[in-house]
Amino acid sequence: MELFSETASVCPVCLRRVKAAIVKRGGEYFMEKTCPEHGFFSVVVWRGDDPAPGEWGEVSPPADGSRGAPDCPNMCGLCPEHLQKTCCALVEVTHRCNLRCPVCFADSGVRRSRVSVKLSVETLYARFRKLAAAGNTFVQLSGGEPTMRDDLPDIVAAAKAAGCEYVQLNSNGIRLGAEPEYASALADAGLDFVFMQFDGTRDAIYETLRGRPLLEQKLAAIDVCAERYLGVTLVPTVVPGVNDGDIGAILEFGFQRSPAVRGVHFQPISYFGRYPKPPDNADRITLPEILRAIESQTRGKVKVSDLLPSACDHPRCGFHGDFVVLPDKLLKLTKKSKASSSCCDDAHLRNRRFVARRWKRTRGTADAAGGGTDAAVDYGGMDGFLERVKSHGFTITCMAFQDAYNLDLERLRRCSLHVFDGRRTVPFCARYITPRQQP
Amino acid sequence: MADSSWRCARCDEALTARKTVFTYLGQSFTHEVLRCPKCGRVLIPPELARGKMAEVEEQLEDK
Repeated sequence: MELFSETASVCPVCLRRVKAAIVKRGGEYFMEKTCPEHGFFSVVVWRGDDPAPGEWGEVSPPADGSRGAPDCPNMCGLCPEHLQKTCCALVEVTHRCNLRCPVCFADSGVRRSRVSVKLSVETLYARFRKLAAAGNTFVQLSGGEPTMRDDLPDIVAAAKAAGCEYVQLNSNGIRLGAEPEYASALADAGLDFVFMQFDGTRDAIYETLRGRPLLEQKLAAIDVCAERYLGVTLVPTVVPGVNDGDIGAILEFGFQRSPAVRGVHFQPISYFGRYPKPPDNADRITLPEILRAIESQTRGKVKVSDLLPSACDHPRCGFHGDFVVLPDKLLKLTKKSKASSSCCDDAHLRNRRFVARRWKRTRGTADAAGGGTDAAVDYGGMDGFLERVKSHGFTITCMAFQDAYNLDLERLRRCSLHVFDGRRTVPFCARYITPRQQP
Repeated sequence: MADSSWRCARCDEALTARKTVFTYLGQSFTHEVLRCPKCGRVLIPPELARGKMAEVEEQLEDK
């Protein structure tokens, strides 16, 4: 056994802060920690050395050498010890949902305490104003399922009126596909792009993860968004044994649906909110496994080396790759320079501009031409490239959320995805962290 | 782009419009610019530098 790093975490039962170590054993890395009351816990956090965690991005220690607020993550609301500013601010607009997924980070649809709370458009407008005034102009409307609200177009318009430059909808897509006029109203209100739950290309995947077949609804939603120039990023929750074999097929589907589909954002399953049972290590898929699966399942069309550690968050929290879908191949733009992945003060702003540029659809000539199969276009020329990168830019990204079992405060302190509740701004994983459910 | 009355300051040759390869961050693009047929130096007009070239750079500069 070999020590990789020392950090802090929480007890998955009582959520008290505890010391933690990340150790390497048999080619895998485990977070190990002991709660004085609830005992010893060990959870896999990284499998394999291809890439090795120590070589995946560079993390410069805080200038003041601090180890975080002593009470982190309890009582969280961004504090001076937090090392990253807000890139995307998530605003919950409802706790209702039209699905009852066995796994749900927000425990939506059945939440007891706040299920009846419906925030008025005016209340939400005040929140958007606070965000915009602080320079947080990229908001994600989340929940629950935001499309449960008939007044969602008013909420989108309120966000825009408050000064939010980019408004993203986090949705399962069901209502978008079923009610094109509702999608039109959202587009007319100024919605910029959609983060669409899309777990795979087969119905069996949805039956397991979401409780019923949904592929047809997903395809309908993509078509409806395409017709309204609402860029769609596909968001699969990756679960071992369910859809980890579908990663290549999801990517290929995304490439084929470019420019309607703007990218794929993988989220390895994390265990917070609602989940069927306390997870074993076999129930987890780690970030390097997603990287390797992308390369093997696309048969090398996308390589691990085409993807870079997150610059906006801790490198072990995610990765990103930048591409252009050409009629006959994939053009890789991901910059190889190490400097690009270094974290600096405006990383959150650069990330915001980058994702907005790629995820938002433009109404250029190449885009209007649909698949853009015109062989006469010279994509090697500056004009052809510029038009194509705007119309058919494509991102492959990943975010590995942390739960009560594997929370690493070193990573949490660098989180740039924050939930805003009108009063506090809290890193996503701290907001949704859930103590272990008793069997 | 039509040939112009520009001449190369070094060679005194008339510049001619030629497809030229530009490379930035590992990506190469072609664009027609005025070039000296003798020494190969090219003339980059300010509107190209501030326009399309800057736009290509921005697209390639990762976050």
